[in-house]
Amino acid sequence: MSSSNDDVQPGVPAVETASMDAMVETERADPREELAKTDHDTELGIAMAEDAKRVSQGEISAEAYWEKYDAAAEQEFGDAYRETPNPSIESTDQTIDAGTADSLSCTIGSMESVACEIDAAESVEGGAAPEDRKARWGMVIDLQKCVGCDSCTVACKAENRTPPGVSYNVVMEEEHGEFPNVTRTNVPRPCMQCEEPPCVQVCPVSATYKMDNGVVNIDYDRCIGCRYCMIACPYGARYFDFGENYDDEVEEAGEITSPEYGVDRGKREDGKSPIGNVRKCSFCTHRLERGEEPACVETCVGDARNMGDLNDPDSDVAEMADSTRSFQLKESEGTDPNVYYLK
Amino acid sequence: MATDTSHFEFDPGFTDNRLRVAWYAALAVLLIVGGAAMILRITDGMASTNLTSTTPWGAWVAFYIYFVGLSAGAFLVSTLANVFGVSGMHRVDRDALFAAIISMVVALMFVWVDLGRMDRMFFPFIWRQLTSALSWEVHAYVAYIAVLVTELYFSMRIDLARVAERGSGLRARLSGLLTLGRRSTSEASRTTDRKWLTRAGILGIPLAIFLVHGGTGILFAVSKARPYWNSGLFPVIFIVSAVLSGTALVMMLYVLRTKLFDDEPVDRNLLNRLAVLLAAFIVVDAALTGIEMLIAIASLHPHEVETWAVILFGEMSWSFWWFMVGMGWLFPLVMLSKREWRETPWLMVLAGLSVVIGIIAVRFNIVVPPQILPVMKGLPHGSYFPSAVEWATSIGMIAVGLLLYTIGAELLPLTPLDRGDH
Ligand code: SF4
Ligand code: SF4
Repeated sequence: MSSSNDDVQPGVPAVETASMDAMVETERADPREELAKTDHDTELGIAMAEDAKRVSQGEISAEAYWEKYDAAAEQEFGDAYRETPNPSIESTDQTIDAGTADSLSCTIGSMESVACEIDAAESVEGGAAPEDRKARWGMVIDLQKCVGCDSCTVACKAENRTPPGVSYNVVMEEEHGEFPNVTRTNVPRPCMQCEEPPCVQVCPVSATYKMDNGVVNIDYDRCIGCRYCMIACPYGARYFDFGENYDDEVEEAGEITSPEYGVDRGKREDGKSPIGNVRKCSFCTHRLERGEEPACVETCVGDARNMGDLNDPDSDVAEMADSTRSFQLKESEGTDPNVYYLK
Repeated sequence: MATDTSHFEFDPGFTDNRLRVAWYAALAVLLIVGGAAMILRITDGMASTNLTSTTPWGAWVAFYIYFVGLSAGAFLVSTLANVFGVSGMHRVDRDALFAAIISMVVALMFVWVDLGRMDRMFFPFIWRQLTSALSWEVHAYVAYIAVLVTELYFSMRIDLARVAERGSGLRARLSGLLTLGRRSTSEASRTTDRKWLTRAGILGIPLAIFLVHGGTGILFAVSKARPYWNSGLFPVIFIVSAVLSGTALVMMLYVLRTKLFDDEPVDRNLLNRLAVLLAAFIVVDAALTGIEMLIAIASLHPHEVETWAVILFGEMSWSFWWFMVGMGWLFPLVMLSKREWRETPWLMVLAGLSVVIGIIAVRFNIVVPPQILPVMKGLPHGSYFPSAVEWATSIGMIAVGLLLYTIGAELLPLTPLDRGDH
């Protein structure tokens, strides 16, 4: 539908860009006033700031900039200037390297996590440094918050590109009572990453085993597909890959696979692992390794799913797993799952 | 020596050539069907089965434990002669051993097709897991086959040497090879053979009972996730039903081979002895199964009660009532109830066959029902009946076993040349 006022979009106020820029200008602090609050030279600061804008617009090079101001800055700031790493000089992508960061006890990560680490480091004075403590990944699912939308199941299928019949996560729905007094509980079920996993115990070729970080791994190159682990798992968390595909539903469905456990296996092809193997949730190990949450946690509509380090007593998940609302599925099995639920 | 007197004649195998042709033709048909199904199994992978992630084990696993049981049972019958010196049993001991070996070969074929990755069948010998019953089992099977072959060798060697010495043609040459160079037919050499036979048998008994068949039962019993299997009595029932099917098989083979191959009268005393043994095992098997069921139901554990409900009244309850109770227990018990019937060869073949088929249902009812109920409420229910490919490959693999057995029975002195009455 063509109309005369193409630019106007529903829900977006019709404001000229110029007037928006003006709004920004009024909000911006006056540089002179700000710099006047410091002990340092206001004129130098203004000049450096103006030229820094030109650097970012590509009008002058970073090298030229530092050539121009290096001496003046050293004179102004003294030793502190020389000791502070300068990203734009030390590396081409304007970052500082890990070694330098370390020497300055900078921590990589969000401000919040940096603050936490500093707290922890200070509080364990003389104790083990936090880096020596091994992380144990755990998940806490708040059943009060779960709305049973199955988004996690869908996100998991998309992330791990699981074939038909394989679903690392399911939401078990249970109705209690009789009409009209009915309640419904939705219990999402990933792999529990048990501390005492019966699946690991029974595998004849030790193709499935527990990793340092608490996640139970499956080595697709070793698994012989005997399915004993599926028999042993009390949570029905394991699925056999029968080699089916979504070819009818999606074009080029098998073109890409998920780099589960950090291994990129290329295209999905007949007779190639993981076809003929047993598969299960890996807590999205490949995402954890690059600092992301598992897909189900990230996507959860009700924010019911939480991921973190259970070995860190101050982490959110450890605190939740410790609460009186917390329980594990089939506790009597002695499997000690690393997935906790809040009732 | 007993056989020196008459002129030497060694011609085991079918006495009726038409029967031989018909038998091999029937096997050929089964092998072709099975072979075609096997091609489908390999090209389509596990998708050719009716298995699902809820019911991951099916017909192949049931047949696998069935043949392991058959083997362990047949072997234990052979030890009656070799180790315990029960008189009159020597006649069947080689037959029992040979059938035990073939059963094990068939069992391993079933394990093999059941693997999601058939190409990785040797992996369990490269990587192990101390806590895995299955890991121990594959090693026990190999050791057990070695014991069986050793036993058969010592049991049969003297006759192999006789055939090699006095016979002619293919059989003589084959027998010569199989003596492994020990060609003496003297009494001294027979005594050595007997000594080693007993030793191997003594080693074999615990191996067969505890490791091979008990172990296969343990493989199931340790899965705490399936309360139906998770019981101490379970491996015991496994062994008893194994001995039951093995005895039935040996009895059946004895009659058939004596009639069709040796063309001799059946020893009625021996037949009666085997039949009484069989009846005793049936009673013990049924009693233990009843105990197991009562304990399970009295526990009121929902999973156990519901699993038994599935067995007794579910979709597949016909396999329990008709095959397990009917063919496995009741029909043979009736057949075995009268001495007169117990000494009638053809009736005993029927009773044996009935048990051998009935125990197949026992195995299916062990493997499948606990996988019908989901391990947790809210997960999907299973439903399983083997696919055409599963049936046809199973028939094919059983036909391979029958073929191997027949060829062996046609070429080897499975019936002692002195008729076992030394
Ligand atoms: S939930 Fe099942 S698959 Fe996952 S670790 Fe536990 S036993 Fe193994
Ligand atoms: S299916 Fe694979 S992972 Fe599972 S027990 Fe067998 S070999 Fe191990």
